[in-house]
Amino acid sequence: MAFLEIKSLCKSFEAYPVLQDIDLSIEKGEFVVFVGPSGCGKSTLLRMITGLETPTSGTIAIEDTVINDVDPAKRGTAMVFQSYALYPHMTVFENISFGLRMAHQPKALIRERVEKAAAILRLEKLLDRKPGQLSGGQKQRVAIGRAIVREPRVFLFDEPLSNLDAELRVQMRAELLELHERLGTTMIYVTHDQVEAMTLADKMVVMMGGKVQQYGRPLDLYDDPDNKFVAGFVGSPKMNFLSARVVTAGPEGLRVDLAAGGAASVPLAAMLAPGARVDLGLRPEQLSVVAAGQSLPADAVTVTGRVALIEDLGAESYLHLHLADDSRIGVRTVRHAAHLGDEVRVAAPASAVLVFDDAGTRLRGRA
Amino acid sequence: MISPLSLAPRLSVWIVLKWAIALLIAVITIFPIWWMVNVVFSLPGEPVSINPRLWPTSLSAGLDKIEMIFTQTGYLRAYGISLAYALLTILGVLFIGSLAAFEFALFDFPAKRLIFGIVMLSLMVPTAVTIIPTYLLTSELGWLNSMQGLVVPGLASAFGLFMLVQFMRAIPPDMIEAARLDGAGHFQIYWHVALPLCRNALITLAILTFMQTWGNYMWPLIITTSPEMYTVGQVVGLFNAPLSHQTVDVVMTANLLAAVPPLLFFLIFQRKIVEGIAMSGTKG
Amino acid sequence: MRHTRHHLPHFLMILPFLLLFGAFFLYPILSGFYYSFHDWNGVREPVYVGLENYTKLLGSRDFSRAMWNLFQYIAITVPLGLTVAFGLALLVDSFTGRWANFFRNAYFLPVVLPAFLAATIWRWIYAPNFGLLNMMLGWIGAEPVSFLNDTDTMLYALIAVDVWVSAGFNMVIILAGLKNIPADLYEAARLDGASKLQQVIHITLPMLAPVMFFVLTYSVISAMQVFDKPWLLTGSSFSEYGGRRGALLFPVMDMMGRAFGGVQFGLASAYGFLLTLAIILVTALLYALRSWSNRR
Repeated sequence: MAFLEIKSLCKSFEAYPVLQDIDLSIEKGEFVVFVGPSGCGKSTLLRMITGLETPTSGTIAIEDTVINDVDPAKRGTAMVFQSYALYPHMTVFENISFGLRMAHQPKALIRERVEKAAAILRLEKLLDRKPGQLSGGQKQRVAIGRAIVREPRVFLFDEPLSNLDAELRVQMRAELLELHERLGTTMIYVTHDQVEAMTLADKMVVMMGGKVQQYGRPLDLYDDPDNKFVAGFVGSPKMNFLSARVVTAGPEGLRVDLAAGGAASVPLAAMLAPGARVDLGLRPEQLSVVAAGQSLPADAVTVTGRVALIEDLGAESYLHLHLADDSRIGVRTVRHAAHLGDEVRVAAPASAVLVFDDAGTRLRGRA
Repeated sequence: MISPLSLAPRLSVWIVLKWAIALLIAVITIFPIWWMVNVVFSLPGEPVSINPRLWPTSLSAGLDKIEMIFTQTGYLRAYGISLAYALLTILGVLFIGSLAAFEFALFDFPAKRLIFGIVMLSLMVPTAVTIIPTYLLTSELGWLNSMQGLVVPGLASAFGLFMLVQFMRAIPPDMIEAARLDGAGHFQIYWHVALPLCRNALITLAILTFMQTWGNYMWPLIITTSPEMYTVGQVVGLFNAPLSHQTVDVVMTANLLAAVPPLLFFLIFQRKIVEGIAMSGTKG
Repeated sequence: MRHTRHHLPHFLMILPFLLLFGAFFLYPILSGFYYSFHDWNGVREPVYVGLENYTKLLGSRDFSRAMWNLFQYIAITVPLGLTVAFGLALLVDSFTGRWANFFRNAYFLPVVLPAFLAATIWRWIYAPNFGLLNMMLGWIGAEPVSFLNDTDTMLYALIAVDVWVSAGFNMVIILAGLKNIPADLYEAARLDGASKLQQVIHITLPMLAPVMFFVLTYSVISAMQVFDKPWLLTGSSFSEYGGRRGALLFPVMDMMGRAFGGVQFGLASAYGFLLTLAIILVTALLYALRSWSNRR
């Protein structure tokens, strides 16, 4: 069994289901990120691992022991709250040592552990301050310190960086990775920000509507998503979806008519009926602007649209194209590639296309 | 909102104990009033051994006693006096207090801080100091034993001012500016803009003032000298005195009738009352 | 002043309040102070007597009795009342929804009753032969106790009534303070292994300190002015007050008695000021205590 094993976990509040049939296996030492939009159930899942919520059915086990009924303080887990939850009337030292003091540990041990944690987090000079005198980043570190001192088997983070400004967030992310490197402890991290998830995670768990949509390494989720939701959620800017109708489908490949005009051939062997609706997924960086007179390989997928918006970011630019079927796509390109209002043609290699059926499921199979 | 006591859902011993204690205390606080109701609505003279007054037994006996008290004693008049006292005080406190609160909360003028400071200091001064000289002043004004004497001295309520200032401070200054640009005069801004916006505070203050004047004992005791001006509290005091020669159940009826208005107010407005008191604590 | 016309509307609006405040607060304080140095029975001219009123009071047996009663009363009723109120607040906070409202209202009910009503109810409870308490004592075979007449028990009987009434009031204020404590502090503490008791000691109480201070100060100040309850419980009148051997004699009662019973307004005013002095001293003490403990 894996280090942390979640089997068939379900949670409902009164009659309202919040989590349905969650199965996850997390290995020791992994940095796993639960990511998804608000309300997808990721925080509830985290809270069930800590013990602040109880499952309606299913089990959670750490190191082969089921912990459903174990007291939250005795599970070997430690949590860092989104709001830090620092005790405002206690000093940093007292905050960090709170758990140890409640367990009546000897003073020498407490001092040693707190100083060790403070050294790791560069808090040594702040031990006598109160939370009201600390900056956001410092408070964050105290909250982490409180968790470290418990020497847990699993660290749990509940959107800890969402209260910090953008620059600080980037810095703290780097510090968290360093921390993980140093301590080697299993870490479970919840966020709604998929960029954060991509940068931090060894493995990502994308959640939506109380279910796990996909679980794997970030780049795998990026390159090979299981469904339209994951494809659109992971990666910024978002993947483009071109609506199309099947003309022919079979072991030799798929031919479709694009709603935005034109046809396309994709090397995908799939069982689809003619006329069925599908979505073709292409990332902005896979599309390039076709210059006038440029020749294209035969299997290129192309589409034409009018430039509705140009975002110049310095090193690159994004064109937002308005297509014939009233949909929009984004194209990554260089500066001055086009002007507002231009009719522009873009193309991508057919092999880069991901195909999703009408229900959003990813269709796989090389033709 | 999670108290430490509620994070132990698995320990059923705690839950049972918690409910037992909570219900027991609720009985202690509610039972005396319940008992009073039962004494009123029971046949007079029934010995306690037969009818221990644990529930009402006779609706008609109770109604008889109520009717008797209202028609045969000066009780109804005292009810009227108390009601008038309360209503006039409420009107006065709300109007005069809001006029002043409007100024203190939203505008600046010379000596504003000083004046407000002195008024707030008065909250700290015990009534003991002022009550006798106030009595003497009221007497000099010829207002002894009159409605003016009852009401007027209590109208400059520092507590009321404090509460209304807190609420009026929350009115966006832009709204006042907009009203002024619309051509509203000073008093009109107060009447048409500020007052409606602090309706909640006014209602809460009205209720709290009502409870306070209805139960006020000390001031009416020394101000009213003739029975025509007695408030409900004093009339009930007459019933309670050993010389009244009334039976226990009649005395209880008098008491119960006096309790009805505040109890009614409480049942209807309990949230506002509780919030009003709680707010004074967190801001104070 | 150049801007007089500017400020005129403001002063006009606050005028009614200021007039009434000046007339019925400032003037009485000042005139009370003046009268406290005079002997006056309301009819003949006041006679200047210097500090005689004050010295007479400080040497009077009743004054000492009243002050001693007050001290005992406050020493018990304030801590007891606050502890009960705190306990009730924790109890009510642990319920949610309709039950929380029910218990909160039930415990607040005694506050809503006018004082004379509470007194009536408790006089019945304490009644010597058929009162509820003595009936209950009878069931367990104990001797009846005359709660309101026995000088040993009278003070405690009064304290019980006071706690019954005031606990609900203080509870409501403390409850609001409890709700201001963020829930995730308790969650973090629970994850840190703190027991419920430890959570109350280390989180609830320290974070509630400002509210408790407010409630404490308010309770002490109003306890020092106690009048209604002992007056009504002993069935006092201006000619005879304070109960048997003055066991429930308190400063405000004594002051009122001297004013309207003995018709000595000068003496009574002096009494009022002495009491005020005591109140100010105690309040200052409480604030000093608070700054000292904050600095710790």
